[in-house]
Parts: sequence; C-alpha cells; structure tokens
Amino acid sequence: MNPFVKLGHDIVRLWTTYSSQYLMGMWNTIYLAVVCTAIGCIIGLLCGVLNTIPLAPKDPPVKRFLLKLLHGIIRIYVEVFRGTPMILQAVFIFHGLPYFTNGAVRFPSELMCAFFVVSINTGAYMAESVRGGIISIDPGQTEGAKAIGMTHWQTMFYVILPQTLRNILPQIGNNLIINLKDTSVLSIIAVAEFFAIHKSVAGTTFAFFPSAAIEMVGYLTVTVIASVLLRMVEKKMDGKASYELAQVDPLTMAAGTYNHPDKKSFFDEHSKEYKEDK
Amino acid sequence: MSDSILQIHHLSKAFGSNVVLRDIDFTVNQGDVVSVIGASGSGKSTLLRCINLLETPTSGDILYHGKNVAGKGVNAPAYRAHVGMVFQSFNLFNNMTVLENCMVGQMKVLKKSKEAAREAAMQYLQKVGMAPYINAKPSQISGGQKQRVAIARALAMEPEVLLFDEPTSALDPEMVGEVLTVMQGLAQEGMTMLVVTHEMAFARDVSTRVVYMNQGVICEQGTPNQVFGNPQRQETKDFLARFRNN
Repeated sequence: MNPFVKLGHDIVRLWTTYSSQYLMGMWNTIYLAVVCTAIGCIIGLLCGVLNTIPLAPKDPPVKRFLLKLLHGIIRIYVEVFRGTPMILQAVFIFHGLPYFTNGAVRFPSELMCAFFVVSINTGAYMAESVRGGIISIDPGQTEGAKAIGMTHWQTMFYVILPQTLRNILPQIGNNLIINLKDTSVLSIIAVAEFFAIHKSVAGTTFAFFPSAAIEMVGYLTVTVIASVLLRMVEKKMDGKASYELAQVDPLTMAAGTYNHPDKKSFFDEHSKEYKEDK
Repeated sequence: MSDSILQIHHLSKAFGSNVVLRDIDFTVNQGDVVSVIGASGSGKSTLLRCINLLETPTSGDILYHGKNVAGKGVNAPAYRAHVGMVFQSFNLFNNMTVLENCMVGQMKVLKKSKEAAREAAMQYLQKVGMAPYINAKPSQISGGQKQRVAIARALAMEPEVLLFDEPTSALDPEMVGEVLTVMQGLAQEGMTMLVVTHEMAFARDVSTRVVYMNQGVICEQGTPNQVFGNPQRQETKDFLARFRNN
C-alpha cells in the first residue's frame, strides 16, 4: 500500500477513536500557554519596573538598602529560572514541596504545578526583555514627564510602559509560541497536555508515527494562528499610519496657511495667475 | 521680594570633580524674560536643569516664592508642575497624539476632568498654531511643530514660569522662526520666561534681561542694551564679537 494512503487510514482510525482526547490535550496546551504567558508578562513587567526605580544620592539609606536587596532577589530569580531546564524545575518543585514539608504542602494537581512552573519561567525571561524595553525608551521622555510634574509611577504607567509593551510585543509573541511547544515537557509530571496524549495513545495503539503526524499538524496549526494574531495586535497597537487634520472650517487661517501679501503666491492678487471674479 | 518667583543663592553643581556651576546668584521676577547666553559648556543648560530639579544642586538654595526647594524632603513633582520646561529635543510622548500630550499632565497631575483638560489643551494648541494637528502622533510632524506642541504642553499646566532649554537648537533653520514667534508672543503677554538660547536677536529684542555665563559663573548681566550695546567685561565682548562675525 502507498505509505501516504496508509498514513491517511491510520490517522482516520486514530482520530475516530481518540479525537476527544487529542482535542482535550490541545485545549490544555493552549490554555496553559496563554494563561502562563500572560502571568509571565505581569511578573516580567513587575520585575522590570522594580529594576529600573531610580536611586537619588539624597535618598535615605533604608530605601537604598531595600532597593539593593530587591534587585538582588530579582537577579537570583532570573538567573535560577533562566539557567535550569523547565522539565527539571517541574519535577523539582512538584516533588520537592511534599518532600520538604512531609507531604503537608503539595500542589492540588499536576496542572496547578504546571501553571506555576511555566508562569515563573516566562516571567524570568520577560523580566530581562522588559528591562531592555524600558532602557530603550529615550530618557528625554522621562524628563519631559517629570518636567510637567508627573511622579515616577505616573511616568512609567502612562508614558514608558505603553511604549515598552509595544516594543517587546515580538518578544511576548516568541514566548507564547515557545510556551505552546515547551509545555510538552510537562508530560513528565503527568499533565494531560497535547504531547502527553500522544504518549498515551501511542502507548496503547503502537501507532507512533500516525499519532506524531497528528501532533505535528496540531502544534503547527496553533503556532501559526498565534503568530498571525500577534501580527494583528502589533498593527492595531501601531495605530493609523496617517492622521487627519482637525479643522472644522477649511478656510481658518492656521500655521502654514497664511501668506504675507507681499510674498506673492498663486492665490493672492499680486500673482499673475490671479484673476478677479467677474 | 514680593514679586520674585525664583531666587537662586550660591548655587553650585559639580559632576564628580568637574565643577559646572559656581556660586550662581540671580532672581527671576514676575514678568521677566531672562535670556541666558554663553558658549557651549558654560553651564547654561545645567543651571536650567537644576532650577527644575532635574539635576540635584551640589550646594546652594533655590527659593520658590521664598521656600527652598533644593533641600531634602521637597515634593519635586508638585514643584515642577508650577515650573514648565521646554527642551531642546522636544521630549514629546511618542505613544500619544498631539492632543493627548497636552492633556495627560492636566489630568494626572492637576487632576482636571477630561473635558476641562481638552478645552485648555485646545486653547493652547490654538495659540501655538497646532490646533489642526491634534490627531497627529509626534513622529508624524516636523521639528518646529513638535517644539510648538511642547510649548503648548508646558503652557497647559499653567506654570508661573517657563524654562526654555535651547528650544531652537535642534531645528532646521527654516523652522526656527515659527518657534521664536510663539515665544515672542508669550513674552508680550507677560509670561515669565527663562530662556537659554543661542539666538542673539531674540535675546536682544525680546528679553528684559540678559545673563551672560562663562565657565560656570555669571559673568555679566543687565538689560539687553547694556549687555549688547555696552558690555563691561572682556569675556562678554569676545563672545559677542564671535557672534557678530558670523
């Protein structure tokens, strides 16, 4: 039999039996990736903003100490979670919590643990992206905001972060797509995401290749849709490429429309092309 | 004393071992238009930035209506809301339209309602001739237009004194005029202004007082006629001579 025809048959057979499981797994993957990317962004924004609080020489020593401490903690957080594999973090945290507390503290479910691990991982990556995004905004705008009396937080919230968010949107998109795929490692703690379904279906049917083919198509479809949606969001955030002049009366004299009579334009009586109405 | 807005006493500023301002003393009264002139690096801009607390003075006092704002425990944002500043590089908010640029300070700092903020913003944008461009983003307008919006944004806060830090230095020559015209209009309406500038014609014709700075100190000050017509110090004469030759 032609291998393609055979593959088609196998996929149809798998799909008719296990479609609900695949779809459930897919839903869990999307759900995990979207929620964790969102939480990760919030963690990243928070870390990025805390990391860029300015220190003036006349600030009291207590404030300086606390701020230094905070920076240290954020630094350690970023280094630890960026520097170890997520698959290991999942095992470490999921089994480590009950180990250290004699089973008193544990995640209520594997899925909960998965949310925690992926969010905090994304946060560690985003913290650096946000810090870079904030630094990249021209400091003149911060001064402009200060000069009209805005506080540090107002400046951040209304001026700097909206621009930072736009600039790091491609990064956020990257993280979303990475999360869609990398949540597959969570099958290690038995989270029923898309890849875990493959493992269980292939384990019972031994249809490794057809199941993998379904998974390939599934992941690619979701990531392509995600990147198209992200492009649309970017376009929307950029706003209109042109602007309309707000002028109720088009004959109103405004800057640029006024010509001194001696200057001789096409439209005044000094011009040769100017003809009186009869 | 009664009508002096700003009094600067023994103001000094050093960046590390580099002393930029030494022992500056001067007063800005209600209705003054003070032009600060001098060579690049003479400390003019630093002086302005110290007055707006964008730089922390190393020593000395800045009295705003008799109250020292240079010390510790001063609410700098509240003070800055009364002292407007226009920058050489415009510093408009790129994520907002022209109108929003002029409204955000009024709404967030002065806590005005959206309608009131919009009305005031429109009034000042009209004044600088930028009312037709309210929907434009800063990246879509020219340098001169940006600077006029920046002036409207500062005016919308209804400051008591407006500081200009070389407002025309980053502009193409043909755009300098439109900004100077707006500034001249403000001066004639009695706005108190402190202008760091290289536009000698503006300093001579519009200001009520001219301050010449050299190497971090005020070398000479007086009416435009005194400083331009009859400079006393050799440094002032040399500086002005360089400009006349151009």
